[in-house]
Amino acid sequence: MKTNYRLIENKALQESVYHYRINPGMDLYILPRAGYQKKYAIFSTRFGSIDNSFRVEPENEITALPDGVAHFLEHKLFEDEQGNVFDRFAALGASANAFTSFTQTTYLFSCTANFEQNLTELLNFVQDPYFTEETVSKEQGIIGQEIRMYEDHPHWRVFFNLLESLYREHPVRNDIAGTVESISGITPDLLYRCYNTFYHPSNMAVFLVGDLEPDRVAALVEENLSARNYKQMGAIVRYYPEEPEAIMKEKTSQELVVSEPIFYLGFKDNVINKLTGRDLMHRELLMELILDTLFGTSEMLYNDLYKADLIDEGFGFEYAAESTYGYTMIGGETKDPERLHEQIIKEIKKAQKNGISEEQFERHRRKILGSYIRKFDSLEFIANNFLAYKFRDTDLFELPGVLNEVKREEALALIGENLNPDRHAVSLILPLTDG
Amino acid sequence: MSEAYSVHYLSNGIRLLFLATKKFKTISLGLFIHRDLKPETVALNALLPSVLEQGCRLYPDYLTLQRHLENLYGSELSTDIIKSGERQIIAFGLESAHDRFLGENGRLLKESLSLLGSVVSDPLLENGVFREDYIRQEKNQLVKDIKALLNDKAAYAMERCLSEMCADEKFGVYKLGRIEDYKDIDARMLYSYYRELLSESPIDLYIIGDLDEAEVIETAEKAFTISRSSNIAELAPASTNRFISDIRTIEEEMTVNQAKMVLGYRTYTDFDDSLHCPLLVYSGVLGGFPHSKLFMKVREEASLAYYIHTRLERHKGLMVIAAGINPVDHDNARKIIDEQLNDMVEGRISKTELDNTRRGLINSLLSRQDSPSQLISFHLDGMVGNKVYTFEELISGIESVSIEDIQEIAGRIKLDTAYLLKPREGEDVIYED
Repeated sequence: MKTNYRLIENKALQESVYHYRINPGMDLYILPRAGYQKKYAIFSTRFGSIDNSFRVEPENEITALPDGVAHFLEHKLFEDEQGNVFDRFAALGASANAFTSFTQTTYLFSCTANFEQNLTELLNFVQDPYFTEETVSKEQGIIGQEIRMYEDHPHWRVFFNLLESLYREHPVRNDIAGTVESISGITPDLLYRCYNTFYHPSNMAVFLVGDLEPDRVAALVEENLSARNYKQMGAIVRYYPEEPEAIMKEKTSQELVVSEPIFYLGFKDNVINKLTGRDLMHRELLMELILDTLFGTSEMLYNDLYKADLIDEGFGFEYAAESTYGYTMIGGETKDPERLHEQIIKEIKKAQKNGISEEQFERHRRKILGSYIRKFDSLEFIANNFLAYKFRDTDLFELPGVLNEVKREEALALIGENLNPDRHAVSLILPLTDG
Repeated sequence: MSEAYSVHYLSNGIRLLFLATKKFKTISLGLFIHRDLKPETVALNALLPSVLEQGCRLYPDYLTLQRHLENLYGSELSTDIIKSGERQIIAFGLESAHDRFLGENGRLLKESLSLLGSVVSDPLLENGVFREDYIRQEKNQLVKDIKALLNDKAAYAMERCLSEMCADEKFGVYKLGRIEDYKDIDARMLYSYYRELLSESPIDLYIIGDLDEAEVIETAEKAFTISRSSNIAELAPASTNRFISDIRTIEEEMTVNQAKMVLGYRTYTDFDDSLHCPLLVYSGVLGGFPHSKLFMKVREEASLAYYIHTRLERHKGLMVIAAGINPVDHDNARKIIDEQLNDMVEGRISKTELDNTRRGLINSLLSRQDSPSQLISFHLDGMVGNKVYTFEELISGIESVSIEDIQEIAGRIKLDTAYLLKPREGEDVIYED
């Protein structure tokens, strides 16, 4: 079989990815990595916890889902008529797993032997759904335990409590696993409806990395899909509620058994849903650079806060840039949330007035580049991030180029626009006096 | 197949383990100072790397040091305290991107080794000792770290079980010690302890990357110029033969949703025991994988847990079973666990269970060769256990384990302590806005 590919190269990294387009419209990416024992494969769909309302063209009917369906479906695919999928990977010496995020569901395995059989197993189990009343009801118990476990997890709670305060409407405010109540409404029919929409190959992609021969592996994938006689599917139209610019509420707090209060402060990004592809990556890198310059370990504020015993080494920040939502979070454990709050806001106002220096900007740019290169030791990093960026219509390999383009003047403007002190929310976990 | 280190001794006796490989995009350094784990010195050891990381003579404060790291393309300096058997290991790591991706021509090996050398052996001094304010600040941070164990309920339950189980053994000492152990430490005391420690402890320096051996040795020699005693301390292996008469049962209440069960077992098997591989397979068949007995029976069939697995502490010869369960299911879960242990004793292990476990263990061993930090920790384990297994040795050992070998291990294993962290009666976690 003749398979055509397009080569995506990055000279600086000395890496190449082979890109194949597999009928009916699935992207397959293969990165050969000589000398590695391990081979790592992921099969992902653009279906995450926020995809709660959709229709498929040309139909008019809109399907609305309870929270937690994408994650529930992920669990359920591991069981089919022949039994437990883990067993089949185990027999082939592979380690299999899956994860669901806000925007995608990913199935994966890593192995050091029997790669082609394992890949076939991955392709088969993801493409063979099996949902019954009985298996769905059993899973409700297992996921119920998982949800309860996360309820005891203070850093998970502070994060979602903050998202709930920033967002009024957008489903990013809801826990990925849903609630015990929301998942009780899940039925086999509903799972099939989602499966037949979001697990069509045209909504999916595969990334393979390790010591591989691209054409040989691509032929295997192509044969597997062609035997299934897929029909073309209309475009999936996803509906997200209109999100107002204003945040939902300024402050949220919860008591849990913790040694010290946990304080997070957050901003909602209101521009993000107007950006795609390279522009989105541009904004993401600028924000990372800004946050590292304001709150990183090499700057005054971090060191002052640490000396004043207001933070510990866990203090950090995060910026998320997806196509329908975006947010900034800053925080950690602290004995004095009020003072930490004041200091963070003061620093942002100061940066809005004074900007950041050329020296700072270049130093942090250099740091991001070096950290990016270091991460390429990890096959998991490469595969997971490559597809995550592809799903946002951009390319992990373009990162050094985009990083090189960002300008200090843009950073200054972005601090003003995206970190507006008048529109932030805070989330607190307070120690519960136990006993 | 296996990656082989070349071993050199620097002129001051530091052992240098160098692995030349083109596989990675990084230069990885790891330095490990081996100490006996004991209550008198646990806090001194834990405090040292935190203080040294605050600044050295050349980069006298944290901010300056971090800026220097950023200029080295975001090289990452890390410190850690590792409890391995009855040793407390002070660990330093420094990972940099390799020059060949940055057009920097061999500068980063020299820069990163000399930085690590500065941090470890050329500290910032004031009046001939460490700075008192750094000591105060880091003591305070460590006390917070000790208290913060509470925040991760699974880790907390594990630590509570093991510390109760080994309460009157060296292993029962928490790797960061107790809060009161920090009270009397001052700059003078820590500095004199530091001099003694650098002089007489076994120190291993690992270097992994696409580098020239002669240059690595020469650069390391220059970076660590400290003089050391010719009498390096010999550390005794952990004792694994403690006799138990009764099973201890400990229950604690906390305001949580999910109960955490940790069962602590003694395996009476040393790291260099001829049944080392059967022990690995035993733990794997029982609870190391999603196909293992515990996961299949307790989670998949009975839906009684979200997670359940075994974990080995191979130096101390301990095994734990840890599970997150709904508190009302405790007795049921415990009954199923005991049945699985009994099946191991009786040799009721299917060919599939055995084969799948062998393959799973071999897969994870081979995978460790793809990560510099895993390559280092694998070898370091051998150093601690006084037996450096090669990957080939373990793989062929695992392949030849029989059901009888596993039964022999099963016959040794005894439950010592059953620990349960459970929700308070009639309480639910409070939410407020």
